[in-house]
Amino acid sequence: MINHEVREGVLVARVEEKRVDAARAPDFKTELTRLIEDGHQQVVLDLSKVEFVDSSGLGAIVATLKRIGPRGSLAVAGATGAVERLFKLTRMDKVFPLHEDVDAAVRRMAG
Amino acid sequence: MAGAVQLLVDSDLDTVALVARAVRAICSDRLSEEDLDAIELSLVEATTNVIKHGYNGRSGETLKIGVALHSDRVVIEVVDTAPPMDAAQLEQAGEERFDFDETNIESLPEGGMGLALIRMNMDEVEYVAQKRQNRLRMTKMFAKPSTS
Repeated sequence: MINHEVREGVLVARVEEKRVDAARAPDFKTELTRLIEDGHQQVVLDLSKVEFVDSSGLGAIVATLKRIGPRGSLAVAGATGAVERLFKLTRMDKVFPLHEDVDAAVRRMAG
Repeated sequence: MAGAVQLLVDSDLDTVALVARAVRAICSDRLSEEDLDAIELSLVEATTNVIKHGYNGRSGETLKIGVALHSDRVVIEVVDTAPPMDAAQLEQAGEERFDFDETNIESLPEGGMGLALIRMNMDEVEYVAQKRQNRLRMTKMFAKPSTS
């Protein structure tokens, strides 16, 4: 469900599902948690392939941020359409900085 | 095109995406992408709530989804036979749910957002718990055509 790579010390997690809803949120959360437990504190979540996120998916992203802790950060790249709208509607764009793409997010985080 | 459609849906979270796709297609002639997104999210949240909380995640139950297209609005109903939810939960749900302190990550919500999202995305939301069935009725008005 999630592919990952490390760029300039930043963990980039690319979600390969079109939908992150209540059916997939538990596995999504488990996979993300496993990735950050390797000790990464700077994480970019690439949602460019995702077309739909519901409150369960959003809750899993929030849970991941809590797991990373206050000294780390989690940014979102490539959110468009309904996904971007959900972040803004719930004010979660104040928590997760939204970047146009992974390059911009990594640049910002690594810089 | 006016008309009404009813869908019978298994109480299985994997079917929610199928229902969302079907309802989105039914409404697609009359609504903007943004309004379709709002309807899809509301329907998904409502259906998921019934399956997870009403039926406690139990499969083998049935939900009825109604979609009625009128000249000025679309009305979506989610009907179930689970124990009803407390109607006050819906009345109290709103954008205050997201009035968190963004600098305090422990205060951020991880759940309990569904009803608030429904209220924020639809124009009217009404819940009626009857003897044998519950009905959540969600209405979205069509955007008025520009007069300029």
